[in-house]
Amino acid sequence: MQFPPTIPFLEWAWDDLLFIMLAGIMLAAAFFVVVGRDIVRSGLAMILAFGALAGIYVLAGAIIVAAAQVLIYIGAISVLILFAIMLTQTKAGPATLVFHRQAWAGGLAALGLTVLIITAIINTDWPQRVHERLWTATAEIGLLLFQDGLYVVALQVIAVLITAAVVGGVFLAKPEDVPDPGEGPR
Amino acid sequence: MAQSLEAYLILSGLLFSIGTFGFLARRNAIAMLMSIELMLNAVNLAVIAFGAFTPQLQAHAALIALFVMAVAAAEATVGLAIVIAIYRNRRTPLVDEYASMRE
Amino acid sequence: MPIDQLLVTLLLALPLAGFGLTALIGRRLYTRAWVIAVTAVVVTWLIGMYLIYQTLIAGAYGEAGLHFTLYEWVPAGAFNVAVNFGLDALAAVVLIVVTTVGMLVHVYSIGYMAHDPGRWRFFAYINLFMFSMLLLVLADNFLLLFAAWELVGLSSYLLIGFWYRRRTAALAAKKAFIVNRVGDFGFALGIMAIWTTVGTLNFGEVFEALPEALHGGVIEPWMMTGIALLLFLGAMGKSAQFPLHVWLPDAMEGPTPVSALIHAATMVNAGVYFVARANPIFAEAPEAMIVIAAIGIFTAILAASIAFTQRDIKRVLAYSTLSQLGYMFAALGVGAFTAAIFHLVTHGFFKGLLFLGSGSVIHAVHEEQDMNRMGGLWRRIPITHWTMLIGSIAIAGIPPLAGFWSKDEILAGAFHAGFYWVWAVGVIVAVMTGLYMFRLMGKTFYGPSRVDPAVEPKVHESPASMTVPLILLAVPSVLLGLAIGFPPEAGLLHGWLEPTFHHAREVLHLEHHDFTLFGIDGVLLLIGATSAAIGTALGIWFFGLLRLRERPAAVERVSARLRPLYVGSFNKWYFDEINDAIFVRFGGLVAKATWWFDVRIVDGTVNGIAAATQGAGRGIRRVQTGRVQNYALGIAAGLLVIAVMYLFVVVR
Repeated sequence: MQFPPTIPFLEWAWDDLLFIMLAGIMLAAAFFVVVGRDIVRSGLAMILAFGALAGIYVLAGAIIVAAAQVLIYIGAISVLILFAIMLTQTKAGPATLVFHRQAWAGGLAALGLTVLIITAIINTDWPQRVHERLWTATAEIGLLLFQDGLYVVALQVIAVLITAAVVGGVFLAKPEDVPDPGEGPR
Repeated sequence: MAQSLEAYLILSGLLFSIGTFGFLARRNAIAMLMSIELMLNAVNLAVIAFGAFTPQLQAHAALIALFVMAVAAAEATVGLAIVIAIYRNRRTPLVDEYASMRE
Repeated sequence: MPIDQLLVTLLLALPLAGFGLTALIGRRLYTRAWVIAVTAVVVTWLIGMYLIYQTLIAGAYGEAGLHFTLYEWVPAGAFNVAVNFGLDALAAVVLIVVTTVGMLVHVYSIGYMAHDPGRWRFFAYINLFMFSMLLLVLADNFLLLFAAWELVGLSSYLLIGFWYRRRTAALAAKKAFIVNRVGDFGFALGIMAIWTTVGTLNFGEVFEALPEALHGGVIEPWMMTGIALLLFLGAMGKSAQFPLHVWLPDAMEGPTPVSALIHAATMVNAGVYFVARANPIFAEAPEAMIVIAAIGIFTAILAASIAFTQRDIKRVLAYSTLSQLGYMFAALGVGAFTAAIFHLVTHGFFKGLLFLGSGSVIHAVHEEQDMNRMGGLWRRIPITHWTMLIGSIAIAGIPPLAGFWSKDEILAGAFHAGFYWVWAVGVIVAVMTGLYMFRLMGKTFYGPSRVDPAVEPKVHESPASMTVPLILLAVPSVLLGLAIGFPPEAGLLHGWLEPTFHHAREVLHLEHHDFTLFGIDGVLLLIGATSAAIGTALGIWFFGLLRLRERPAAVERVSARLRPLYVGSFNKWYFDEINDAIFVRFGGLVAKATWWFDVRIVDGTVNGIAAATQGAGRGIRRVQTGRVQNYALGIAAGLLVIAVMYLFVVVR
């Protein structure tokens, strides 16, 4: 069966529909992350948001990034966050207050930021998309990565950074050593 | 809509704002970190969107996004380690009870 | 240095040295503490007599007198003041009184202070006082005079408060000094005004330059009057004219020799002397002269009215001094300068006599000063009694004693200058003078003895060191008037002082006229003598004389009928209370208000600024919450602002 080129009745492109769906899911999940009372549920909503974002990446033609998104964000970072949530749970259950007093100010700031960004975007001339689906070639990414003069230094630095982060994380989260009581007086 | 850069950018901006709001408003430290992850993702989306609409930059954009992801991972690691360390000391993950730097 | 200048310098140096030496070693001399001081003053008197002779009789220094500079005192560029002395006829005449009465008081004090343990201090102080007064008389520039003025004030403070353990004495000394200070304030302002106007402070130069400035249009007439009034303010303070008279009666707290010296013979005359010396200035300011005359004669009648009812013998004499000083200023005010100086001289002698005599009386009744507790003393202390009687007759103005001639000249001068109201009040005061003086005599010496029975048997005449000065003073009281003031307007004194005052009298358009015994002058003479006689007769009638009985019932009747006047007079017309209300109470209120202003408003502002700064600090400190999320909000807000600014301001 052949997909109809556009959605029947509405004359939208399929891409557009997909985009709107994925965008909607992502925004709703992100919103829930931010306002959810139970933090575990927030974490799970975050996973959903990441997943939807991966879908949008595919729509934009960056399949490697989409794969990396799923692997890294959902597979590693979200798990890490869930572990941390479990480790820092208080006995009293979810906190009574989700937001603190400056939330109103924060909301205003965020709102202002939104307005600002949207205004900036609308008022700028952007280049139009080329009318072909373009997929990012993995070979090209690999070449760019290791080519001299471009991203190879960044690559090395990131490697060091991750090492440092791992070591630092282990060190910071290590429990304090209980000093050895030592031998008593003989 | 999938064909307009503006849609992607607006989406990215909205996601970034949501992340900002969460960062400024939530009490739980881990929720703040989650909001930071959202913000980083919004940035990634913007980069990818630019890449998608500029053929010669497409591979670069993907690469930048990958780097951002790596950095985000590192940052999440260290941040969570800190939260756990503080939690061990204060027994609470709520940031407005970390007030010892106060005047 | 020529011998004359040396003598003048010695005249001043001896009392000063006497003060220094007595202050240093006097205590160790015990009863002989008087030796240094009295010797110094006697030698001073001898030198003084020689110099006076040279100036007045021998005319050795001409009309201008002996002027010389001892050394440069303040060589400060444009402001040059030297220590220079001037001995002219006027100074010489006043020196007669100062040196003679001063010496006699010193001798008198040997006996009077014989039992006082602080006598070394006393002699040191009165030597200091002699030095100050001599310096005042001999000074030849305003600044030196002012310094001597202040020194005299200081000496009188020390002497009035001599018995410093007595609270009333200490308060009286303070009062004298403070009231004097008020006058000195005006004086200082006057001196400053003179310097800014003519740029010099030497008497000779000022007396030429100031009238020139006035006639040349450099200074306005009102400025001249202002300077004259300011200078007169100083004289008012020193010579206790209304309203600065309140210190003189209280100054009686000091020992009697002090009262005699300072308040009868010398210090209070400083004001009169100064106005006479500065007559060129005053002559150019006729309005000021009228003020002087008015204040003078008003003080005269005011003081005489209070003298009627006082009970303390020394206070009656104090008010009498005030009254006579009023006469002198009235004389100065109407332009009768010579008459004023004449009265200054005669008054110095008979008032000194009266004060020393009263001291002798007080000594006789063992320190009792209330006249109502004396009486019947005339047989017990004869020398004191007879000398005081002479003094009373002299002051009442009965011819031919000294007081008559000087007082008459004043009244005649007022009449001829056209100041009839001054003349009329002066006549009334003459009546009052006779009355209160013989009231004093009657209560003290005549009638039955009202002395405290315990003291009665011990009443005795004073020692020779006290009675001899009395006798010595009685002689000039009788003869001096005739000696230097007769015939009126043409006597010796007029001859001496005419050159000094000639120019001033010309400016005031007062011609010298000859005395016409069988014309207007004779009538005035008669009226003067009669008024004195009336007053004296009334006094004798009410209060007795020698064997004449007193009439206490009549006195009672009169005082009962004039009850309100009696009470007012007895309370010195409430001037002290008025001063207290105005200056002390009201001044206290003003001070309180200023204090409130200072504490509340000035301090409040300063503290308020500090508090505001603190409060602002506290408020702003709340930004430092220590919470990172608050800081994050700050960053977000800042970012927003910058972005908005960039977008809408820079780009558009």
